[in-house]
Amino acid sequence: MLEVQVQDLVKHYDDTTAVDGISFNVDKGEVFAFLGPNGAGKTTTVEILECLRSLSKGSALVCGYDITKDKDVEEIKKNIGVLPQDFNALDKLTVKENIELIADMYDKHLKIEDVIKLLNLEDKANSKFENLSGGLKQRVGIAAALVSDPKLVFLDEPTTGLDPKARRDVWDVLANLKKIGKTVFLTTHYMEEAQVLATRIAIVNKGKIAAMGSPQELIDEYGGLKILIIRKADENLAKKLGDKFEHVTMNSNGDIHIKIDNTDELYSIMSLLTAMKAEKDIEIQTPTLEDVFLKITGSKIRRRAKQNEVRSNL
Amino acid sequence: MRFVAIFKAVTKNWLRSRTGLFFSIMFPIMMLFIFGSIFGGSNYVPTMTAAFIMTNGIIGLTSTNTEFKRRGIIRRLSITPLRKMDWVIGCILSQTLLNLLLTGIMIGIGWGAFGIRVIPDPLMILMIFLGSVMFSGIGMALSGSIKDVEAASAIGNVISYPMMFLSGVFVPLSIMPTTLQLISRFIPLTYFSDGLKASIITKSMGSILMNMGVVAALAVVFIIIGVLVTRWKEK
Repeated sequence: MLEVQVQDLVKHYDDTTAVDGISFNVDKGEVFAFLGPNGAGKTTTVEILECLRSLSKGSALVCGYDITKDKDVEEIKKNIGVLPQDFNALDKLTVKENIELIADMYDKHLKIEDVIKLLNLEDKANSKFENLSGGLKQRVGIAAALVSDPKLVFLDEPTTGLDPKARRDVWDVLANLKKIGKTVFLTTHYMEEAQVLATRIAIVNKGKIAAMGSPQELIDEYGGLKILIIRKADENLAKKLGDKFEHVTMNSNGDIHIKIDNTDELYSIMSLLTAMKAEKDIEIQTPTLEDVFLKITGSKIRRRAKQNEVRSNL
Repeated sequence: MRFVAIFKAVTKNWLRSRTGLFFSIMFPIMMLFIFGSIFGGSNYVPTMTAAFIMTNGIIGLTSTNTEFKRRGIIRRLSITPLRKMDWVIGCILSQTLLNLLLTGIMIGIGWGAFGIRVIPDPLMILMIFLGSVMFSGIGMALSGSIKDVEAASAIGNVISYPMMFLSGVFVPLSIMPTTLQLISRFIPLTYFSDGLKASIITKSMGSILMNMGVVAALAVVFIIIGVLVTRWKEK
């Protein structure tokens, strides 16, 4: 069953096009990630699907309901849970009271205590929201997104601005969601986050989906070759390897890099090294989503993402 | 009944903002003492109370709400099945509770310092309730249409200060030029202030009912405007 169906979605703001004709589906039970730099159109797309923004063209069904029909929007709101970008709650209310407030907006909801437990917020249940750290605030936001026991959960940049420890904590929670079979729609500009959490990724750039598939499929298709690195080798060895294999280079640190086409090639390099009794430090680098992104868009996501990261997490 | 949950949450939020709460009650008390000591207190209890119920709605609620909007709290709630009407009513009722509290304190001071012997009766409470709903409705209508917090309090000031002077709160209308007296008939605060004066001091039934009718009608109008301008969806 499809929880999200999007067809040729377009969103114009005055003279800019934020979303430029994208189509995709999200299946029940999937953790689907929109991965892309800031300004790629990720948030605009999810906000349209959450019925927070109007669309310019195209069509979309969320949980089987049409986002452009008022009657359907009411049904969508009952069925989705949302962690918006820059989530905030009432400062003077406690964690529990804030989750309760959101819960009260639904006819049916989970027990507040259960949700608090799921997010490991028991110790903080009676702390005021204003006194929480960034990571805890995000967890309250995720709790609020889950309290109505939604069919589909939208998480818009759930770990942006968090320190590495807080980020991992949020990942643990999200991994749990994956285990219990929730359908999750995630947006992120962190490669690792998409790679660790998502079952399927759409790489979004300049309002378009540049590539889509499971993390492994994307890496296989766009990641390029594996690289074998021999640390601190000498030029002699480099020359010998260069005679036998393609794609052999040596950098200024004296490391030899060999791009490997297939497993056979790897074995023959290894046996050559064994025969030469070259006892060297050897490392194999497999391509990552970063390489995929670089290949597809021609630019690095991290550099751009970092510039935009101003939120403090203290 | 979702407005009850909104009412509870928003009320708890201001009750715990101690500094804000302290000053929003201290300021009217201070003004009452200043004006009461200069000109004699009895009339200032109802008119000052009316004026501060107005500023609480037009300046106070407008800023709180624009702040909620800026921080994405209204947006977060708009993704739930909450209806705009419940949001608007919940906020208005919460503000009204604050105003009833303030009126109680003002009357208490009137009793202690200016010798006004008033026992709150149902008509008086209804008058305060309706007036508070009307001004909170204006607050909701303003904050629904204003984006940033600074603009909200500036606009709130621009609207409320002239109203305060033109409705006979500080200076009796009878000593004003006829043009200003005419203008005062178009100002919501005039009706609320006169109605409150009638229900607390003169007890003239005709005046109470006439002013209450106008205030009630305006309250409905502003609630409707408040709901219409509150946006659950962005462009």
